[in-house]
Amino acid sequence: MGDRPDDVAKSDAPRGRARGGIAPTGKGARSFVETGLPVLAIGVVVLLLPLFLPTFVSSLVTKMMIFALFGMSLNLIWGYTGIPSFGHAAFFGLGGYGAGVLVLRVDITNFWLGLLFALLLTAAVAAILGFPAFRVFGVGASDNPIYFLLTTIAFGELLARAAIALRPITGGSTGLAGIPHPDLGFGITVTAGRYYYLVFVIFVVCLFIIYRIVNSHYGYALRGIHDNERRMQALGYNTWLYKYTSWIIAAVFGGVAGVMFAYFGGIMVPNNLSMITSDIAFLVVILGSTTTFFGPIVGSVAFVGVEYLASLYLPERWPLILGSLFVVTIMFIPQGLGVMILKLWRRLLYGAA
Amino acid sequence: MALLEVRNLSVHFGGLAAVHDLSFVIEQGERLAIIGPNGAGKTTTFNLLTGQLKPSSGEVVFKGEQITHASVFARTHLGMARSFQITSLFPHQTVYVNALIGLQGTQRSRYRMFRPLFKDKALEMAAQELLESTELWDLRGEIASSLAYGQQRKLEMALSLASKPDLLLLDEPSCGLTTTESADITARIAALGSMITVLMIAHDMDLVFGVAERVILMHYGEIAAEGTCDEIRSNQMVRDIYMGSRKTLGHAR
Ligand SMILES: Nc1ncnc2c1ncn2[C@@H]1O[C@H](COP(=O)(O)OP(=O)(O)OP(=O)(O)O)[C@@H](O)[C@H]1O
Ligand SMILES: [Mg+2]
Repeated sequence: MGDRPDDVAKSDAPRGRARGGIAPTGKGARSFVETGLPVLAIGVVVLLLPLFLPTFVSSLVTKMMIFALFGMSLNLIWGYTGIPSFGHAAFFGLGGYGAGVLVLRVDITNFWLGLLFALLLTAAVAAILGFPAFRVFGVGASDNPIYFLLTTIAFGELLARAAIALRPITGGSTGLAGIPHPDLGFGITVTAGRYYYLVFVIFVVCLFIIYRIVNSHYGYALRGIHDNERRMQALGYNTWLYKYTSWIIAAVFGGVAGVMFAYFGGIMVPNNLSMITSDIAFLVVILGSTTTFFGPIVGSVAFVGVEYLASLYLPERWPLILGSLFVVTIMFIPQGLGVMILKLWRRLLYGAA
Repeated sequence: MALLEVRNLSVHFGGLAAVHDLSFVIEQGERLAIIGPNGAGKTTTFNLLTGQLKPSSGEVVFKGEQITHASVFARTHLGMARSFQITSLFPHQTVYVNALIGLQGTQRSRYRMFRPLFKDKALEMAAQELLESTELWDLRGEIASSLAYGQQRKLEMALSLASKPDLLLLDEPSCGLTTTESADITARIAALGSMITVLMIAHDMDLVFGVAERVILMHYGEIAAEGTCDEIRSNQMVRDIYMGSRKTLGHAR
């Protein structure tokens, strides 16, 4: 598997990560021009987009934001802690089903309550699954994660089976259809056109939280575990606890993406819990890069773009295209589009280096 | 009370008794060296002491506490730290981040999820101090894996000191270094001060006799001889075991 973040980091890290590290002298290195400006510019463009472009574009961008968050949640454990999971859709689906079930079966229509319930549900399930998962994923397991990967696939398939079996609650194999427009309380219902902004706000908030987490004390401990878990233990870190908690955090953000997805399409199907959907997160991360924070956003833009073009021109060939996308990415841009863009941007700013 | 007490410690890998019925004691402030040929079980002993390996039988008592089955990180919090024979750093991080991660391992702040690591003034001061004392401060912006080997060994040493241990376990600290670098490390260890008790594994006899007060010779997982430097130097068994091996005792001061 060419997706071990280490392979990537070796080539990229000397420039990529040294910057933040040279404190106190190098603190200004991540200057406003380098990061702040593009973030602001993109933010404003995305915010104003629906005013100028047709609805189908904002619908695509909504999807990009949802899958970007889905990818970033996977990247939290994969790119930072070094735990690659093949079953991340389990949490995506749980989030979506959780919110949907609350609206359709329990008749609690408030969006925020649905979100809260979905998050608690994903956190609880992740907390339970984390125990067997990290028995399999012991110290140094990132060198040979195959058993862990199989275990995480099993989680997703198991939940998908459960969703099919629990027909009265989940709608069985046809799925949970008819999820209404989100009701924000205070008599505000978000119409299709406005949903874009709700997703935007939630996306930005999640982005901010994840950004804070990965750059915190805790976040650097995760990076340390990725690099060298044995050393981390010798330094006094309870590495199991970090792996376990970061797994739950990743699950919760995956759940948020799932909730947004459920309201986006108005339907959840068992496949949203299984491998097919996990692949999306996986691809979004690989496309974007596991070594940059924003990588999955780029990955998601690319993924949703290709998916859209495929649906226009080659609708029956999607599995083939999906597979090719995997292969092409791994072969030709193993470090990911995120790293590529970062390099180009820095070259543009600072001249050839 | 002894700082560390090892009682009848054994571990088996399949049929191989890598460590067999090992017992010894280290007093507070002591400098003890373990020597022995390749495969004698020295590193395995360290792994048993630090908890990376669980013994088949026997016990380890540290500061009067039974730690035979304690986790690795719990022992670090109790005041034990180690360096690794095979350099064990955070290869993709800068020297500076290596130091920060190293230092916060025993601090409460390590669980802080919302505070940026780079805004912790106290931690930054400590990192500067640690890196200056190991002469790595000027290299703080370098990625650890890009350092020269001698510098990586220094960082290895810095990381093992980061938790301010009471008992420091050094696994061949001068392994693979040039004579000058080796002498430098020897001087550093000798200068550690009596607050830190040192147990080290070494092949380099200059290092052993330059630092240690007492020496244990391991052979086939057991203690073959034990004594002061002078006793070990004149011990026939030590001569036999080391005869023909790459280091000769006649070389030592
Ligand atoms: N995890 C393991 N599984 C099986 N055998 C092991 C394991 N670890 C060590 N051994 C074996 O135990 C014996 C002792 O190894 P150890 O690493 O402790 O030797 P050492 O005294 O440190 O040698 P050196 O001077 O080469 O570092 C060796 O024969 C080694 O092959
Ligand atoms: Mg050894």
